Amino acid sequence: MFSTIIEQIVNGIVTGSVYAIVAVGMTMIFGVLRAINFAHGEYYMLGTFGAWFAVDYLGLSYEASIIVGVLSTIVVAYVVGRLVMQRMVGAPAEAGVLATLGIALVLQNTVILVFGGGYKFFSGGYIEPLSILGFSLAGQRILILVVCLPVFIGLEFMVTYSRMGKSMRAVSQNVECCEVVGIDVPKVVLHTFILGAALAALSGVLTAPVNVSVYGGMGELITFKTLPIIIMGGLGNVRGTFVAAMILGIAESLVATYVGLQFRDTVGFATLILMLMWRPYGLFSTQARF
Amino acid sequence: MTHTLSRRALCISTAILSLAVTVPGLCGVAQAADGTIKLGLVAPMSGPNARYGAFSMRGAELAVKEINDAGGVDGQKIELYSADSQGTPVEGVSATRRLIDEDEVDFVIGDVSSSVTLAMQPVAEDAGVLLLNAASSNPKITYAAGVGGFKWTYRNYPTDENRAFVVAKYAAEQRGFTKFAVLSVDSDYGRSAIEFTKKYLPEFKGEILSEDYYKEGEVDFRSVLAKIRDSGAQAIIMYGLADTTPIIARQMIELGLAGKVTLIGNGEFNTEKTIKSAPTALEGAVEAAAWLPAWDSPESKAFVEKFTTTYDEAPNNHAYVHWDTVRLLAQAIHEAGGNDREKVREALSKIKYKSPVGEVTFDDHNQARLPMILLQIENGKPSIKGAYTAEIQYPAQ
Repeated sequence: MFSTIIEQIVNGIVTGSVYAIVAVGMTMIFGVLRAINFAHGEYYMLGTFGAWFAVDYLGLSYEASIIVGVLSTIVVAYVVGRLVMQRMVGAPAEAGVLATLGIALVLQNTVILVFGGGYKFFSGGYIEPLSILGFSLAGQRILILVVCLPVFIGLEFMVTYSRMGKSMRAVSQNVECCEVVGIDVPKVVLHTFILGAALAALSGVLTAPVNVSVYGGMGELITFKTLPIIIMGGLGNVRGTFVAAMILGIAESLVATYVGLQFRDTVGFATLILMLMWRPYGLFSTQARF
Repeated sequence: MTHTLSRRALCISTAILSLAVTVPGLCGVAQAADGTIKLGLVAPMSGPNARYGAFSMRGAELAVKEINDAGGVDGQKIELYSADSQGTPVEGVSATRRLIDEDEVDFVIGDVSSSVTLAMQPVAEDAGVLLLNAASSNPKITYAAGVGGFKWTYRNYPTDENRAFVVAKYAAEQRGFTKFAVLSVDSDYGRSAIEFTKKYLPEFKGEILSEDYYKEGEVDFRSVLAKIRDSGAQAIIMYGLADTTPIIARQMIELGLAGKVTLIGNGEFNTEKTIKSAPTALEGAVEAAAWLPAWDSPESKAFVEKFTTTYDEAPNNHAYVHWDTVRLLAQAIHEAGGNDREKVREALSKIKYKSPVGEVTFDDHNQARLPMILLQIENGKPSIKGAYTAEIQYPAQ
């Protein structure tokens, strides 16, 4: 009984790590643009497709496919960033909603047109189970955990100490003041956007071997799982996002075990409602900033 | 004066113009009624069931091509129109409306998903267009058809009731399973198959230890599989989606369930691709299917060969049933002596159609009497254990 709970918590942490890497990008983009990126799951999908293409068509190894997946997403993100995201600085909130929803449709359907709507089979990765502390986990899941921690530690340091991170925080606080003191706001927006999209793509490539199937609509589900996480974590808050993702991952895992798999997708928004009743500004914000 | 003149000129030119438009138009309509049979296909071309849709489309296309190449149905060519249901009832209904209102089809084949077919039934009924289902297995579809209500719905596919019974019987009697866990898709298909399994399991002294349903697109089954592993179940009853089967099978290996817990039910356990994705988890799996490529009959073998050479991929169950259903419809049109909807419907009720799995006739609920083929995966290959037909006991009206 006890070991079952521990095992489920480990499962939850693995799921939470995937959510965390996707969500942190979305929350940083919100920070600088004040817009929820509804196309975020699509970059997750693009990364996975890039890697699948590298493995299946180019015959590359899984390690190389990670680089192909992330790089191809960065190229797409650069184009979208230049053409769309940079124009959203100072635009009203509904412009952001419409633009990102539109991008989501375009990206998703382009992939369906090019590769077809069917499920693809992702054959790379380390799927052999390893036994750790008495639990059997696919090697790939351990890789996800191992990648997640340094990514977050690195992001935390970047946001706190680097010039780029400082300017990101500055832009998220006051765009006009940034312009006055000479911070190149469009550049910060573009960089943040590309970083966020690349992280989503990385998360997609890392999960592809255990999720097996790759298809055009796979990003939607991720976008909707990520939304409650970034709200819970406090929009724009890196550390909060990490904790919120873990809470959601573990809660989902426990619900799937003790309540029923069919209730799993309700967990995100149910947790969000409970948490908002307790702390309406997010887990880590002391007050509303926006 | 100039005004009246120009008005007269306008009248005359309008008259000439409208004549010019209507005359070829009339000819065109007359030609269409004579020359072609308009057949609509509703299937999930995108979304989580897109694989089914692609196979359905190719199966139907192949049959249409074969029939047209052989001179059509009594000289009339079949024209195939397709519409995407995305596997959801809402899109399925609008796809059906589009086919009926814009493409003006006389016959509709569709959908794969039971939930979608159930939603399409009233649309076809209102329009008086024949809805011939080829791949949905929820019993409710024909409970409500024929004498049950919907006069225009026919189904050329065996139902879950038959399937659930056959699987439960085989698992209990031949394999000696008594403890089962349920892991099915959360849809009209997955849930109704389990409902009927529950109806028959007590006859075989089987008990269900846990019951879970997954949403389409679910990818993480570790939690639920760990629960099943700890519950001591001998088999997982799974009425699932083909695309999810490899994910579950792989995670079964990850959690050490492979070789200990057997998959039984339906969800394309028998295709080469699925078996290759997780051979140890699928060894011994039991499945009941309407058809499979290994089915031993000359017509069926010829179909597999033709499909494989045309599309460079072996057909699945959905490709076969759509191919077969187009041929069934062609025979009904032939027996009706043309594509008059009412006459084709009457012909279908009386038809004796020779399909590769046996002779097909329809009961008074417009349900085809068809066998379920039972197979088991042995040494990485499906092995056929028999075909079972059961007459459906309809609930009293």
